[in-house]
Amino acid sequence: MSSSVSEMAPVEPVVSPETRPRRRKAVGINARQNGAAFLFLSPWLIGLVCLTLGPILASFYLSLTQYDMFTPPQWLGLDNYVKMFTEDGRYYQSLRVTFTYVALSVPLKLAFALGVAMLLNRGLKGLGFYRSVYYLPSLLGGSVAVAIMWRQVFAYDGIINQILLKFGIDGPSWITSTDYALYTLVALAVWQFGSPMVIFLAGLKQIPQDIYDAAEVDGAGPFRKFFSVTLPLLTPIIFFNFVMQIIGAFQAFTPAYIISGGKGGPADATLFYTLYLYEQAFTNFQMGYASAMAWVLVAIIGLATTLSFQSARYWVHYGDER
Amino acid sequence: MSIRMNRREVLSHGATLLGSAALTTLPLAQAASQSKVRVRFAGYVESQEQLTQTLAVLKLYSQKNPNVEIVPEFTNFGAFTDKIATETAGGNAPDMFSVNVDLLAEYARRGVTTPLDAYVPDPINLSDYLQSAVNAAKFDGKQYAIPNDAIGPAIITNATSFEKAGIKIPDQMWTWEDLAETSAALSKALGPRFWGVEDAGGNYIPCDIFLRGRGKSMFTPDHKLGFALEDMEAWYAYWKMMRDTKATPPGDVQALAGNDDPSTAGIVAGRAAMNITLTDSFVGFQALSQDNFVLHMMPNGFRDGEMKQRHYCYAGNATTVSAKSPNQKQVIDIIRFMHFDPEGAKTYYTNSGMVPCSKAGRDALATSGSDADRKIIAYLDLLQKEPAPPRYPGVPGMTGMLTRANEGVAFGKLTPKEAAQQFINEVSVRLKK
Repeated sequence: MSSSVSEMAPVEPVVSPETRPRRRKAVGINARQNGAAFLFLSPWLIGLVCLTLGPILASFYLSLTQYDMFTPPQWLGLDNYVKMFTEDGRYYQSLRVTFTYVALSVPLKLAFALGVAMLLNRGLKGLGFYRSVYYLPSLLGGSVAVAIMWRQVFAYDGIINQILLKFGIDGPSWITSTDYALYTLVALAVWQFGSPMVIFLAGLKQIPQDIYDAAEVDGAGPFRKFFSVTLPLLTPIIFFNFVMQIIGAFQAFTPAYIISGGKGGPADATLFYTLYLYEQAFTNFQMGYASAMAWVLVAIIGLATTLSFQSARYWVHYGDER
Repeated sequence: MSIRMNRREVLSHGATLLGSAALTTLPLAQAASQSKVRVRFAGYVESQEQLTQTLAVLKLYSQKNPNVEIVPEFTNFGAFTDKIATETAGGNAPDMFSVNVDLLAEYARRGVTTPLDAYVPDPINLSDYLQSAVNAAKFDGKQYAIPNDAIGPAIITNATSFEKAGIKIPDQMWTWEDLAETSAALSKALGPRFWGVEDAGGNYIPCDIFLRGRGKSMFTPDHKLGFALEDMEAWYAYWKMMRDTKATPPGDVQALAGNDDPSTAGIVAGRAAMNITLTDSFVGFQALSQDNFVLHMMPNGFRDGEMKQRHYCYAGNATTVSAKSPNQKQVIDIIRFMHFDPEGAKTYYTNSGMVPCSKAGRDALATSGSDADRKIIAYLDLLQKEPAPPRYPGVPGMTGMLTRANEGVAFGKLTPKEAAQQFINEVSVRLKK
């Protein structure tokens, strides 16, 4: 098909060059075509420039100072960054906790989301109802009320332990045990699989049925269909969800704050990076140090995103690469 | 699909959108009440009951003084310390706010609050007040805050549990060893999901009382540490022993409590018989339980040491005024109303867990207050029979540092000696700033 196009002679313009005014710029923003796009972007752009950009730059400056919010900042240079990596044991604990949380919650969440999306894609009756029900936790999950409820469920006298008692098991207080507290937070994150699930569902519906029919004709069973048809065609969506979830997981704050009472306890077992940052800033009056922590987090998230994008070349198949 | 617009249309539509957005943020016509004074009052409360009474007295004041609008911002102590830090740092300090001994030292030092000596004794007459409470609200010799209530350290004791276990409530002058034995006996009688006393290894005041039993103190009058490594090591070793003998709950169970909310405490949840805290929490705890709670002293010494009454009375919370507030006279009048107006004082103190600092106020509350109020007054009178040396100002954030060290031991991550060293390192850094 493509060969026949290239063999066609270029078409001569019917109108002569003098009567067609050249208004198109060679490079640059084409306001005529993109005007509407910029109009819709303008609230966010104005917000970025007028509200957020200033504090972002100020935070970078503050990260190079000692600032207790009451007296003027004192210049420190890179001391905050050096102290973070050489003198602060709790910093490494917060990195450990956060990386564990991301490494566990993101794959589990995506796996659940994909699994449930595939189940729902079989054409159940009441698909709309199930979709809403599974989506609901991801709307409410980051809220204070749910975090308090979660703390109750996994507490020493909570429902989980009461059920276990019936089987004769004297369970610990899951949510305040150094061994299990982080896993309860991972469970809370995985419970909110609804939003990636909805996106997976949309992606599954985009896969044309005739590809599955062709595969069946070739003798593919359900496993083969999943690994050779569904998964490769879903990779752009998996990639999108993966990047979004990783960025969100690194920034997790509210559930950890409520469940541990703001302390990252017990014994720093749930000391998320953002929690430690908050404590340094507002409890210890170390705003400069906290700003430095914030920028290191930006670098970490940026690195994770860049690595994801670079790896995408190897495993993401976009449909237009024939 | 794109909408075709030329440049003129884009600009005109954009301007309309932005203009209408701006219009909606314009404040509606200002109310004609220019003479209305708006006072922001932020603070911390120890219980729902204290909050109810505080809001009630503020509402009463506004009813009697219609040109004054009071905006209350009350929360629990832990959240309050963070919130007041951010508000003051942002230049948005409330007109009046609650402080305790440590907070006052921190904010007076930074010039956030203003001395109130000009208003003493007129209209605020402190002559009848508990001297230790008045001193607790001083900094650098000046009266920076007005003490709202007198409190003392206490063990909230579930008398009903003691009855059930068949154990007699020990004498008021008892030792730390007695506490360990009594708690272990309670756990044995009412266990296995019940413990004698809640883990207080992360609590500031019991630690101070413990150190005083050893002849030391948490802080000295000149703002330094008043103890040595082995004293703090003994403290953490004591609570480790308590956990090992099952006198006190294990780390994971204890960690459920301790976010300043009485409803999460073990004594309220029915898994402990004693809770070491301060008297202003008493009303909140009693309100949440059907059992009979009483107030008991903490151990006053050791078996081989000197027995002396070591519980100091001081101000649970004091009200201070922001240096930048334009409404200082108004704030003083509100404080006067809460303390000295008969109706105001009655509303503020009755069943709030707070006990007035003035003798006259205490006598009034003893007649008109609730049972819980009377118990607190009786206990404070007991402490006053032999007044103890006062509490010395320290640094904020003590609970966080003490608790982390205690949890380190509870979960087997630190030895008592390491925990003590970690605490000393952290508090020394805070002291220097």
